[in-house]
Amino acid sequence: MTATNPTETHAGGRRRLMGEGLGRYIAALGQPKGLIGSGLLVLLVLAAVFAPILFPGGVDQQSRDSFLLPSLLHPFGTDELGRDIFVRCVYALQVSISLVIVAVPIAAVLGTLMGLSGAISGLLGEAFQRVFDIILGFPSLVLGICIVIVIGPGWLALATTIVVFSLPQFGRLARGALLSEQGREYVLAARVLGVSRPKIMIRHILPNALDPIFVQVSLSMIGGIFIEAALSIVGLGIQPPTPSLGTLLNVGIRYVYAQPMYTAGPIIMLLLLALAFNLIADALNAQVLKTRGE
Amino acid sequence: MAANLLEVRNLGTTFRFGQAEVQALHEVSFEARTGRVLGIVGESGSGKSLTARAIMRMLPETASVSNGEVLFESGNLLDLPEARMRSIRGSKIAMVFQDPQAALNPVKTVGWQIEEALVVHGMNKSRARARAIELLGQVGIPEPDKRIDDFPHQFSGGMRQRVVIAIAIANSAKLIIADEPTTALDVTIQAQVLRLLVDLKSRLDIGVILITHDMGVVAEICDDIVVMYGGRVVERGAVAGVFAAPQHPYTRNLLRSMPRIEGVRTARLPTIPGSTPDLSRLPSGCAFHPRCQFAEDICLREVPVLLPMAGSPEREAACHVARQNAGLPPDPDPTPSSEPLAGVRTSGSAPAILEIEDLSVTFPGGGGWLRREKPIVAVDGVSLSLRPGETLGLVGESGCGKTSLSRTIVGLNRPSSGYIRVAGEDVTDFGAEAAAHVRRTVQYVFQDPYASLNPRLSIRQILSEALEQRGLPGRQREAAARALMDMVGLDAAYLDRYPKAFSGGQRQRIGIARALAVEPRVLICDEPVSALDVSIQAQVINILADLRDRLGLGILFIAHDLSVVRHLSDRVAVMYLGRIVEIGPASDVYEHPLHPYTAVLLSSTPKPVPDPSAMQRKLVLGGDMPSPRNPPSGCRFRTRCPIGPLADPSRRICIEKDPLLVGPGEHKSACHFPDEAAGLAVQSKA
Repeated sequence: MTATNPTETHAGGRRRLMGEGLGRYIAALGQPKGLIGSGLLVLLVLAAVFAPILFPGGVDQQSRDSFLLPSLLHPFGTDELGRDIFVRCVYALQVSISLVIVAVPIAAVLGTLMGLSGAISGLLGEAFQRVFDIILGFPSLVLGICIVIVIGPGWLALATTIVVFSLPQFGRLARGALLSEQGREYVLAARVLGVSRPKIMIRHILPNALDPIFVQVSLSMIGGIFIEAALSIVGLGIQPPTPSLGTLLNVGIRYVYAQPMYTAGPIIMLLLLALAFNLIADALNAQVLKTRGE
Repeated sequence: MAANLLEVRNLGTTFRFGQAEVQALHEVSFEARTGRVLGIVGESGSGKSLTARAIMRMLPETASVSNGEVLFESGNLLDLPEARMRSIRGSKIAMVFQDPQAALNPVKTVGWQIEEALVVHGMNKSRARARAIELLGQVGIPEPDKRIDDFPHQFSGGMRQRVVIAIAIANSAKLIIADEPTTALDVTIQAQVLRLLVDLKSRLDIGVILITHDMGVVAEICDDIVVMYGGRVVERGAVAGVFAAPQHPYTRNLLRSMPRIEGVRTARLPTIPGSTPDLSRLPSGCAFHPRCQFAEDICLREVPVLLPMAGSPEREAACHVARQNAGLPPDPDPTPSSEPLAGVRTSGSAPAILEIEDLSVTFPGGGGWLRREKPIVAVDGVSLSLRPGETLGLVGESGCGKTSLSRTIVGLNRPSSGYIRVAGEDVTDFGAEAAAHVRRTVQYVFQDPYASLNPRLSIRQILSEALEQRGLPGRQREAAARALMDMVGLDAAYLDRYPKAFSGGQRQRIGIARALAVEPRVLICDEPVSALDVSIQAQVINILADLRDRLGLGILFIAHDLSVVRHLSDRVAVMYLGRIVEIGPASDVYEHPLHPYTAVLLSSTPKPVPDPSAMQRKLVLGGDMPSPRNPPSGCRFRTRCPIGPLADPSRRICIEKDPLLVGPGEHKSACHFPDEAAGLAVQSKA
């Protein structure tokens, strides 16, 4: 062998495809951006999960004074009934995070399958794309109102709204990847060899389609959190007294002059969540581009 | 000898990657003179484009000039303030880029773009338009006063490149730097553009620096040559001298490993082992030493300096061996190149393994629901046959339908009419059984080795996917994969690596190994070497020839490069606009073409033999290939034919009657005047 030495020196046997893929995503989270993003997210999730231990008094514990200014004891001050706004915000995270962690992955799997369905039948693929067009035709609020009317307000209606609203994003990404991968020479080579369609799908198309979808999962989480807030503000989401970021805002806006932190607090939580997911999405995207560019 | 127009002295540039610095150009020196064309030749990664950009001070952000000077009009360009440099760019030194599609702004008319070049250098708007029309006429665009308001997409590739050249000469630049100006063009168009460059050079009395990888182009239009390798100039001098007696082993090997369109056909092409080095990991000493048959200890330790050769001050070479022996010693092992091909290889008796009869392939024309466009007939009534152990070359320019045809054979496109028979079995319908039969018998090697291997699979996974299709149980696949690697000359230890670890030539061999995994009897190779460096092409061509002879493979070899096809093929078919216009034994087609298109293709292909008058004798076609959506009536070539109704209006037959593919014996052509075509070829050779 006289040619230049190949640079990579992987020994080891056959590595599982998905294993390699996941490894790359985890490596991405080790980069500075990914580290800050995932650290922030872990912090917020831990706070939400351990809220009952951290604040054993629960959401409704009242102090004697309403509309206290922020202090060490009450970082965001107190509300009209003397409840600690910070504590309520932390409990509110439970709702937001549980919603997106359940709903977005469901949307990702469903949407990806719908997007890739074009490989089985062209007509089916087209049909799903038209369904996505219809979903995208509705503003999220109107779509949410329709679903709430059918299911009735609450966690389930919100989760359904988030799933339905996120479907097109995944479906379109997957279809885009499918169409571009189908024309690649290595896919043609596999077809000429007579490799079966499911195998071409799993070996050649899916791994290359997953990159943008992983990035989109992170971005859709942000979208989901905002959908919850938007629907709860108008009273169609989580019903008081359970605190959610949206319901807190709903009430807080009424007291915006007396207690600005009532509005600012939930918004800070929203921004922190969005920041965390955005940083993660950025880090994943950078990693994807790096592998693509070889 | 004319005075120096531009002088580059000891130019060095470095790239910065984070903390690390990589020296990309080392001590590059050369001169360009008025009225002469200087060719800078090198393979990918040799630093030739970087040199051009350093002269223009348009280096990428990560690169910077570390030392040296560029003297132009008694000043150093590298010392000028940016504002001064900007006024020189475009007005005194102009640049022509490789891709005319990318060099023109798609939302502005070509007139606007030429005028812009004039106005920024001080011409007033009203005069600029008249000058723009004059320039378009000068670069040979018909009806320039009408075309000036057209947009770039309304021009063909060759015409676009003419517009780019018009912009370059707009301000009477003294020097034009053309970076691979014809690489993206077909040979017949390439000939037009090269002729234009030579023409402008002498008419406007300017200097030209032509950057190219093609020794044929250099031989045809350059006066001086600079050969670059690994970021250094390894040899330079007048073209005639360098081609006659190259003094650097790289130059000599590069010239020898090129397949020729004329002269004796050899059994094997001489190759240069290994592959071109990466500028960031250059070997020690002489960068060429790992691939050099003369390498001595000193070559590993010391970088050879570019020095004039004894006795000829105009010739310089950077080689220790040539210096010590006062000239490059003769090749110690010339045997493979001098052994001519043993007659015509016979495979005549065997029944055809692949037969195509009257095959047509149409694609829907697009358009919306309301306005359906006419369908495009990509392949129109083509018949071919291929015997085991035989190579059939299929030649044609881009858009002639050769890829559509080959992909139809393996079922990637559906034929609209005609028959395909594989090993005697009709597989036209491509049902489940027929498909399986085709896949066992016919395999495909793709053009782009960078796109045809899935970057996420290791070589073992790629090969075992193919072996699985052959029905080989898992246990035996390892040994079979090793055997395949051995067959294409790769080390089996590389099985665990991923495609990105391999060079283009190595990837193409993996592509061949994958195709061979199912033990096919026919291999369809779609431009398998066109994406590779010249020094690597020969390796792949030799492997294909070996495999064909060892395994008795029938090969359908598709290419646009006539020299490559000639080297490998027993028979050749020439395709134009969806039809075969000429077919026959390779030697007959190349020596006595019976179709004017074949004669033009042969004449247009640059030959690596310096010949000052070659450009004048060339048959240069006017115009471009018509759209397959609207083919001309009668003979499809008549709109460009040098002997057809364009030349002789009395030849109505070419317009009215479609010529049939006929001829004595095996050599057939579809022309009403086949004898004149033969005359054309003789005329351009003499």
